[in-house]
Amino acid sequence: MKVYDVVPGLEFDPEHDLAQSPAWFLDGTHSVPPWTPMFGWFWINFCRHGMQYGAQQLSLPTVKGWDWRFMNGGGYLTLLLVKSEEEKQRREARFKKAILPFIQDYDGLWNGFVKEILGQYEGLKSLDLDKATNYELLQNFEDTINTCRRMWEIHMYMMYGTYTAYILFENMCRELAGIDDTSPLFHSVVSGFDNKVFQVDRRLWEFSKRAEADGLSNVFTKNEAPEIRGRLEESDKGKAFMKDFIAFMNEDGWRMQRMSEINLPTWVEDPTPALGMVKHFTNKGGSFNLDGERQKLSRNREAAEKEILGKVPVQQRGWFEQLMRLAQKSGIFSEEHDHYLDLYTHAMIRRSALGVGRRFVQAGSLDDHEDIFFLIPDEIRRAGIAPDQFDLRYIVERRKADWHEWQKKPNPPAILREGFDLDQAMGVLVKSNDPIALKVVVGAMPQVRPELKADLYGTCGSPGVAEGIARVILNEDELHLVQENDILVAATTSPSWTPVFSMIKGVVVDRGASLSHAAIVGREYGIPVVMNVFEGTAKVKSGQRIKIDANMGTVYILDK
Amino acid sequence: MPEQWIYWFEELGSEHNDLVGKKCANLGELTRLGLRVPPGFAVSVDGYEKFMAETGAGDEIRRYVQSKRDLLKHVDQQVEAGREIRGIIESKNMPSEMQEEIHRRYEILCERAGRPDVPVAVRSSGAVSMPGQMETFLNVKGNDDVTEKMIQVWGSAFTTRAIAFRVEKGMEMEKAPIGVAVLKMVNAKCAGVVLTVLPTTGDMTKIIVEGNWGLGESVVSGEMTPDQFIVDKECGEFECTVSTKKKMVCQHTFGTRVVQVPKDMQCRPCLESEELQEIARIAKQAESHFKLPQDMEWVIDEDLGFPENVLWVQARPAKYSKKENEAEYLAELMSRIFKM
Repeated sequence: MKVYDVVPGLEFDPEHDLAQSPAWFLDGTHSVPPWTPMFGWFWINFCRHGMQYGAQQLSLPTVKGWDWRFMNGGGYLTLLLVKSEEEKQRREARFKKAILPFIQDYDGLWNGFVKEILGQYEGLKSLDLDKATNYELLQNFEDTINTCRRMWEIHMYMMYGTYTAYILFENMCRELAGIDDTSPLFHSVVSGFDNKVFQVDRRLWEFSKRAEADGLSNVFTKNEAPEIRGRLEESDKGKAFMKDFIAFMNEDGWRMQRMSEINLPTWVEDPTPALGMVKHFTNKGGSFNLDGERQKLSRNREAAEKEILGKVPVQQRGWFEQLMRLAQKSGIFSEEHDHYLDLYTHAMIRRSALGVGRRFVQAGSLDDHEDIFFLIPDEIRRAGIAPDQFDLRYIVERRKADWHEWQKKPNPPAILREGFDLDQAMGVLVKSNDPIALKVVVGAMPQVRPELKADLYGTCGSPGVAEGIARVILNEDELHLVQENDILVAATTSPSWTPVFSMIKGVVVDRGASLSHAAIVGREYGIPVVMNVFEGTAKVKSGQRIKIDANMGTVYILDK
Repeated sequence: MPEQWIYWFEELGSEHNDLVGKKCANLGELTRLGLRVPPGFAVSVDGYEKFMAETGAGDEIRRYVQSKRDLLKHVDQQVEAGREIRGIIESKNMPSEMQEEIHRRYEILCERAGRPDVPVAVRSSGAVSMPGQMETFLNVKGNDDVTEKMIQVWGSAFTTRAIAFRVEKGMEMEKAPIGVAVLKMVNAKCAGVVLTVLPTTGDMTKIIVEGNWGLGESVVSGEMTPDQFIVDKECGEFECTVSTKKKMVCQHTFGTRVVQVPKDMQCRPCLESEELQEIARIAKQAESHFKLPQDMEWVIDEDLGFPENVLWVQARPAKYSKKENEAEYLAELMSRIFKM
């Protein structure tokens, strides 16, 4: 019996795919380490669908979204460029109308989508998976597939529209006020906003205060995170604490430890990471530093808004201010969409798939419920209604062996047609004017200024200067190694990294643009972030003392 | 051709746009409203044509242009033609009858100012917007200099850009619907703009005044952060945001230049509260006259006492945020980022 491709129809095929496009880029932010087959199937199919949907709905003049392929657990992407001038013009005319909802009522648009998708999650969660019939279980899984598909439509439509406004604001700041997106004044204008992710962090801090009031602080300070839950269950106060904590998890804990994967428990299943955060706040004591920081940032922002508006000729200020307000939504969107869209949907996929997995184990078609992550939807459908009739172990066995292989050697960062180099490939990305490619993937290139005698040169993601011990972290599993007052050095960061921003002094990332996660969160916490240094994780070693000056985009290794 | 070709601003109004150009007509309209404008006079488009006819410059230009014809589509020929035509105009002397009339008016200005050789600005005043017709001479003193600069303003209607514009639009080459304004220089303590609507929100209950030390160029161009005053139209209460004003634009022997603001003045508001109230009062009055929110330029004259020191140089309908249009404009701008 043939074992199908992981993503039928979208597996990387060197011969035909390189004929279609000369350059395919590895999505290093999301598909390193390599994905499980099921997650890869979801991402490749629907992230791809969402981008093309978003580009089509907005009628982006130059780009029709991205194409994606799956290879050895990695996601590879390329841009779908609009080919003729005439088509560009047609799309441009439509774009001017399609973008209007973002300008006229941004909040209404975004809140409407949040409501829609939360409604879908509620529907999925309403089924008791262990009591459901086989059919209901399969139906829940099918609904989850559709929810994921819809999530990506919303995701990419919103992201294209939002970042287009942001890029225009950057351009207009340069043109009318003479400042660019690496200037501290610019950063002050786009930071100091509350969002859902910070609200969750705040709740965790409140639980640390409650632990203190209930005399439970010792449980947090004396035990490691994985033991805390058990220790709390030993006392009545601890039990009551845990009950409320689980209720909070059911509300806001639908998130993954690794943002773009489903093979690690959600906070709902295993609140250890969340309890670890409470432990961190307990150790730290004092007030929630984001509150003070936020107030300071809002004050700075108001002053900065005045200053920038003052530089714009009074007659142009009307639309400029409207644009500024719109651009300010980008940072909020960047954080909130991860919470409401990616993380939540992935938690839903995990929940539904594990429900099916458990049923398959009962029926004898699988050995372990988590083996479900090595199947793809067509195979689940095969055994969905009468699982006792099928043995799926041989598929799992083969895919699992492949998956272990994928983990051993890193996927190449780009696959290029012969005679085509990386610089040319990057040039195509820039020329596409694709707002997501520009603001999240590529970013500004650093200026190397030998007179500064720095060890690394990058761009400013968030202004400021800091000195401290470097902590090189390559993936989420190592986040617990980060110590108070460290300077984090990473290839890139994602929402599951947000909590450590409250304890560190600064960040250095190999890649990033002004709307990537590290820059946005760094600005909100008021810590310096140096981006696009390319070789940070290669050159800096954990434990070394380093100094970073984000304003100048420099990193100095003090003890070599 | 009408007999009269020279007018005091007081004789003019917005209906004289085609006669004397926009700038002069606007200054006239302001005086008619009872606003103080720098004293001065306008030479009409007819004055320009009279000069061209009586000196023979018009015929010479026509002959020159006919000899060139199709060649004028080329940029290098336009550059050459511009130089040639300006040369023809500037080689002519002002006809004596015109010269006498201009001198008579200038002498009256000197008398009114109470000093001989009063410095004036000689500005072009186009009846239609034409690029490159922006020649302005500041600090012009004495009879001969005034007539000389006036001829140069006329010549300046033949810059390369202006010629290219005429070729493109199929306009007659020797015609130039251009008036000239001669007005007394203001020794500006400070200057700026006032809008009788908040441009960002469309709020019509407020007036916004912005100003900086020296001439108004620094405020209009938006290069420096000016002081900002928001005045409530109803009760007259105001809030002010004083900026650190490090630079200002000042008159110089020729033209203007940017200079440092003395330390002790940098953080001081550039307007006294009575001056601010006067600006707001007059702007409100202009708004009710034109029945439209106004965008006006004001100057405070260092040499005059309050309230005579509040002078006006421009008034036009204000552009402000009307939600629908703004959204469409933003959409248009957004579409352009895909073209870079």
